[in-house]
Amino acid sequence: MNSGLSAEFTALLPRIETLVVVLFFALFAMSFDFISGYTGYLSFGHAAFYGTGAYLVALAANDKLPLLGPETPFMLLLVLAGVAAAALALAIGSVSFRLSGVYFAMITLGFSQVLYVFVRDWDFVSTAPRDGVAVTEKLEGFQIGVPGVDALNVAIGQLTGDSVEGLLGFITLSPTEVSFYAIGAVVLVCYLAMQRLVHSPFGRTLIAIRENEERARAIGYNTYAYKLRAFVASGFFAGVAGALFVGFRRSVTPENGFYFLVAGDALLVSIIGGFGTLAGPLYGELFDAGVREFLSKEGGGGGLLPYLRANVGDATLATDIYNGLTVAEATDTFLNGHAALYVGLLFVLFVLYVPNGLLGTARDRMGGTLSKAVPRRLRRWFDG
Amino acid sequence: MSADADADAGADAGADGAPLLAVDGIQTYYGDSHVLEGVDLEVREGEVVALMGRNGVGKTTTLRSVLQLTPPREGSIRYRGEELVGRETHEVADRGVGWIPEDRRMFAQLTVEENVRVAVPNADDTAAALELAFETFPDLEERREANAGDLSGGQQQMLAIARGLVGDNDLLLVDEPSEGLAPLVVEAVAEALTAAAADTSMLLVEQNLPLALDVADRFYVLDHGTVVDEGDTDDVSADAERLRRYLSA
Amino acid sequence: MSAAVSALSAVPVLSVLSALPALPLQFADALFEFLAPSTLGEVIVRGLAEASLYVMIAAGLTLVFGLMGVLNFAHGSLTMLGAYLGGLVLVITVAQSTGGVGRLLAFGAAVVVAFGGLAALGGALEVGLVRPIYDRPPLYQILLTFGVTLVLDELARIVVLFYGLQPTTVWQDVLGTKPAFLADSIGVAGVSASGLELFHVLFGVATVVGVHLFLTRTRYGLFVRAGSEDSEMLSALGVDVNRVFTVVFALGTGIAGAAGVLLAWDPAWGASVPLGAETLLPAFVVVIVGGLGTFRGTVVAALIVGLVDSTMTWWFQNVVSFTGLPEMVVFLVLVITLIVKPQGLYGVSEVGGH
Repeated sequence: MNSGLSAEFTALLPRIETLVVVLFFALFAMSFDFISGYTGYLSFGHAAFYGTGAYLVALAANDKLPLLGPETPFMLLLVLAGVAAAALALAIGSVSFRLSGVYFAMITLGFSQVLYVFVRDWDFVSTAPRDGVAVTEKLEGFQIGVPGVDALNVAIGQLTGDSVEGLLGFITLSPTEVSFYAIGAVVLVCYLAMQRLVHSPFGRTLIAIRENEERARAIGYNTYAYKLRAFVASGFFAGVAGALFVGFRRSVTPENGFYFLVAGDALLVSIIGGFGTLAGPLYGELFDAGVREFLSKEGGGGGLLPYLRANVGDATLATDIYNGLTVAEATDTFLNGHAALYVGLLFVLFVLYVPNGLLGTARDRMGGTLSKAVPRRLRRWFDG
Repeated sequence: MSADADADAGADAGADGAPLLAVDGIQTYYGDSHVLEGVDLEVREGEVVALMGRNGVGKTTTLRSVLQLTPPREGSIRYRGEELVGRETHEVADRGVGWIPEDRRMFAQLTVEENVRVAVPNADDTAAALELAFETFPDLEERREANAGDLSGGQQQMLAIARGLVGDNDLLLVDEPSEGLAPLVVEAVAEALTAAAADTSMLLVEQNLPLALDVADRFYVLDHGTVVDEGDTDDVSADAERLRRYLSA
Repeated sequence: MSAAVSALSAVPVLSVLSALPALPLQFADALFEFLAPSTLGEVIVRGLAEASLYVMIAAGLTLVFGLMGVLNFAHGSLTMLGAYLGGLVLVITVAQSTGGVGRLLAFGAAVVVAFGGLAALGGALEVGLVRPIYDRPPLYQILLTFGVTLVLDELARIVVLFYGLQPTTVWQDVLGTKPAFLADSIGVAGVSASGLELFHVLFGVATVVGVHLFLTRTRYGLFVRAGSEDSEMLSALGVDVNRVFTVVFALGTGIAGAAGVLLAWDPAWGASVPLGAETLLPAFVVVIVGGLGTFRGTVVAALIVGLVDSTMTWWFQNVVSFTGLPEMVVFLVLVITLIVKPQGLYGVSEVGGH
């Protein structure tokens, strides 16, 4: 990487820690897209399921839950987190799907806010519930792998994760990199499961509901049951995503677990990536996280700030632009830590002009999913 | 009489002999479905023109196209010689085109009086407009403070016509005024329309053939989005078979 | 380890068990105290003050939804901008020596500036961003206004930071411009209420009366009510519906701005960037409980939510030691209303022409 552009790459590319976050949050966003993008029902309270999965793992690890404890295998917790979230989705969905449109969005929001306030103020979860829960009773990392076979498990986490040295003679990975691949594997499995569902007759019925629910009902589909099943499946994967979040971060707060703006972030990356494309939210999240880190305040690792510090002369940075405002101060005021502004602007532009998102638009242009369309294009190009 | 009216119209419009409304080859779509495939028709000053045809042939769409509620993709619609395509609906209405739509489209939660008030183009004329409406339809005056949604179907139709009357309109687009009304009420509606036609021109969509032939001077028959027959109503009153094949299912 | 574990998990169970027999007695005592005239009176006054705030933050939202069918997610952020804008006027005009009347006049000026500024911003937003997407599914209007919120909040954060204030904490200087008598308690017939509470009630009543008169007595209000039922028919009667939309959007955001100024003087809220999200959620609750788009429903729902809030606050302060009780019950009101009466108290099945 010591090419002429290495500084630019360091500034532009997200750090590996960020990429791990991208993975599990993208899974959450995909689960959101699975219900909202495919049925057209905006699940504005989706954070409830993410938070449920996250809190289940944190509480189990702190030995607060019956039958579960710090020794419970993480793989089992992942499934249980999904099941708990799915059960919650069943309860919320069975009431909420009697409504539609704005009312559906609002009742799911209402449910999730009830849970948010409850978790925020319930002193059972921790001594300071407003600050959330940190995993304190379990010192070693959560393990991802084949249950029961020690050799086929790796621990995740920035500090608690396993590192790999000299695997097959040449592969050396830091704990964060190990986490990346382990969490990536879980996310991939979940993605493939959702993708199968979407491409099955079940998924086609969901799309039929989105396009014209009355017609779907007239044909004889019990649309309520279909929507509810999709909601439960979506809740399951949102719970798994929440569990991965705590597995890696080892703490969760009401604000980053249950608060409605967590669902808002999922909505944001789903729209930028492509609503109703399933894979799109991953690209949307990658993009969002990339921009945020590029403009982050600390500028740790990469980002604009260290790049400017290292590569632009002090004289330039101290240049006066307007009324005593220097270049450095201007970047500090308008760019660093303010990625939300630019992502928000971009989001508005996407809603107005690119309603299908990155992936949706690419698919429209190519005429099919990329995995099919790209080889077809290449073949035509080579043949032609 | 008709020659006089034409001469007056010519003087008003400034374009000699030009009709009040000239629809020329309009193509209108609802999403992807192609509803009007080149409709041509005219309404001259002082005339009542009936637009007939089976359900779903594009009669209502023709009226909506004139109002620019469903703007045509091709063709032209001229009112007093001025192009309406590309204008806003309220601009069309401001020029004196009134709409008495299918299903009446009352503002159900507004009172009868408020429904009339909304239709008055200039607030200063409200008192006169209310007087006109209630003089024409004394039934409505009794229910002046009632919510329009609580009126009977016949009363709602009267109110819809009243809104058209107080709008200072020179052309009324009337859509299925007799639909869903009892025979006795239909008679009253026909009377009201005939009275209204004394002052304004009218393009009337009506399935009730006797009513249409009674009120209208001329007629057009639409089928599959185009005009398939036209003529004077006097000519077909004796020859009902000529229309029947287009109108019965 | 396992003994420690079972001891740990037994603690909450034990405490719950021991609390159980005492609970009915304690509850009866508390209920008795709650129903005492002075307590009830105070709770009602506080509830009315809360209801006034809720009606202020929700009125604009309901007007816009009723006419255009747009659920404006940016409404809370506009309230927040109003709080800062009004706060700025107050901080500039009020000096240490300014008397009570002078401070009230400054408050009036702040309301006018915030209303005007936000109405202008709202009008621009409607014309520039919302208008192009009226004919898209309602989802896109939610998305668009949600995006606007992100941008407005971040812009506010940038500006506030630039002037050396903390965006997440309340702007204390504005609270300092409040006349002293608003902080005093006033006792009427054994019921004590703070001056601020009465000020809120006054302001809320004035807003409700003002909006009601606008809707029922003006020609524009007539257009708004007609357009809420059938905007297409309204345009066919010669009314420029787009202009009515813009005016109502501007009016709605203007009211949000005025509400912000009122909140900037209330120590329980105060001017800060998170005020946007904090006001958006209760505003949603009120608007949905009342029935989207009906102004009467919004007023009734604000009263319900305000009284529920103040009641629960009393119970939390005196009996139930659960901090989140009032807030949680407010959201429960939303959920229960939607379950029992999905269209809200006064809702009609189809609202908005889009």
